Amino acid sequence: MRAYLKIAQKSFRNNLVFRAEYFAALLNTIVTILVNLAIWRAIYEEEGGLDNLQFSLIVTYVILALALFQIFTMDEYVIEKKIKSGLITSDLLKPLSFRLHLFSFHFGALLYRIVLLLIPTLLLYSLVYRVLPPFSIEMFLCFLLSVILGYFVMYSLNFIVWLSAFWFYKTFSLVTIKDTAVLVLSGAVIPLWFMPQQLVHFIKLTPFDTIFFIPISIYLGQIPMDQLLFSLLRQVIWITVLGLIGHVLWKLATRRLIVQGG
Amino acid sequence: MLIQVEQLVKDYQLNKNQKGFFHAIKNLLMPEYQKKRAVNGISFSISEGEMVGFIGPNGAGKSTTVKILSGVLKPTSGKVIVNGMDPFRNRKKYVSQIGVVFGQRTQLWWDLPAEDTFDLLKTIYKIPDATFKKNMDMFSEMLDLHEFLHQPVRQLSLGQRMRADIAAAMIHEPAILFFDEPTIGLDIVAKERIREFIRSMNQEKGITMLFTTHDMQDIEKTCERMIVIDRGDIVCDSKVDEIRQFSDSERKLTVKFGRQYDRIELPGAQMIKEAGNTKTFQFRTNEVKIPELIAELMSRYEVLDLTVQETDIESIIKQIYEGGAPAYESVS
Repeated sequence: MRAYLKIAQKSFRNNLVFRAEYFAALLNTIVTILVNLAIWRAIYEEEGGLDNLQFSLIVTYVILALALFQIFTMDEYVIEKKIKSGLITSDLLKPLSFRLHLFSFHFGALLYRIVLLLIPTLLLYSLVYRVLPPFSIEMFLCFLLSVILGYFVMYSLNFIVWLSAFWFYKTFSLVTIKDTAVLVLSGAVIPLWFMPQQLVHFIKLTPFDTIFFIPISIYLGQIPMDQLLFSLLRQVIWITVLGLIGHVLWKLATRRLIVQGG
Repeated sequence: MLIQVEQLVKDYQLNKNQKGFFHAIKNLLMPEYQKKRAVNGISFSISEGEMVGFIGPNGAGKSTTVKILSGVLKPTSGKVIVNGMDPFRNRKKYVSQIGVVFGQRTQLWWDLPAEDTFDLLKTIYKIPDATFKKNMDMFSEMLDLHEFLHQPVRQLSLGQRMRADIAAAMIHEPAILFFDEPTIGLDIVAKERIREFIRSMNQEKGITMLFTTHDMQDIEKTCERMIVIDRGDIVCDSKVDEIRQFSDSERKLTVKFGRQYDRIELPGAQMIKEAGNTKTFQFRTNEVKIPELIAELMSRYEVLDLTVQETDIESIIKQIYEGGAPAYESVS
């Protein structure tokens, strides 16, 4: 256990090495949110509803969704790079579980993003815009739990895509397809309540809305008490399903590992 | 026996690439595969404390064998038992007892100082503080690690990086060490330094070592035993001393004759090459003395010029690669 924490710590430090990259990422987060807010402002201005609660709701939604989207971003090509360079051997030569090793690496990066990207961004925007507080304290705690579950859904889904590198060697297109699907279907950019009913019915059959839409809806108090448990349960179910698929794929992958080069 | 390998086979599936634009497209849509056998049923065993050199040309199957022995690759068939364990099946337990150094890649964190990797390894292998400090001091002294431990790994020279990598593979005091081309790309001084370190580790700590390389000097200066592998088969497995003795006694005699002879007979020497009037003979000094041989030659034929050459181990290995050294088989 200590070893995995140490890996997370080193991964955190590894991210701190790149100063320019950090400021670019911070700028990227701030600007992305700014652009999206400007679009929503234009829409609401047209209808003269800038002072509405509805507008505050959307502002809060957009800031939270995009901030979470930024910190849920992971290095998608870790496995691919390791396979291509043959460096996967040095991981397999450690008395560690490769999957936990990989997760620790991403966990360290996640902490880095929370501390150095999420917190400054949220502070900045809560000063500039009227961001709604959580619906209630209970809902806030549920929101935190749901965010953690959402991260695991995202991670399990990503892991499956990354593992495909064992078969395809190049995963760029698959990663792009996954990213687009997540961006559109998870409610990261547009809240699902603006989407056509039929599409929403479809999305409810997929894991996508459990990544961002459920946690944020809980924060905003948009999910009735009687559906709250079911929403959290859906997240858990998707973690289990995607985790199992990842497990089977991993077992197959190690069997067909070819170490490239020398 | 610490390492036991029996009838080890490893096949790779290769995409059959054909030339030409249409073939390339066809290959994309309907790939064809072919099997390539990298290791072809080899068997050998290594006992505790031995230092064995694994030598062979590119693509001989050396690295594949090392990867199987270190538990990273699953063998297609055959039996591998190291330290009483199946390396692939018991990977997590097994790898804490071995150390592996790949000359072509590094296990150090590229963007962080090397000391961060050592710090991480300490936690991963649960090395006690005292042991860790003792080993780090020893490595610092023998490999001068302290000069660059605080520098990011990407800024190290290849020789420095290699030294740090070797120390990283040994920090947890493994019983067995595998080296996959540890001296590749290094200059002579750096090579010599690493050889010396490896040799002293084997002698002082009794660590069993397997060493792959192209460089015959590596083997000559460090190993007692060598296994020559070519196209997936072991072609020779013997003591380095025996080969050295053999090479010490073997000579080549090149003679330029004054005129054309149809048949040249020289007791104790065999003709191995013929180019016009220049002919090359091979003989062994323990079978025939050089002065006698030359006296014999001068008395029988008209000679314009002659040279006597020693054979080094490298050329014997070359002969082994090129279809088995017929002369060599008589030795072992």
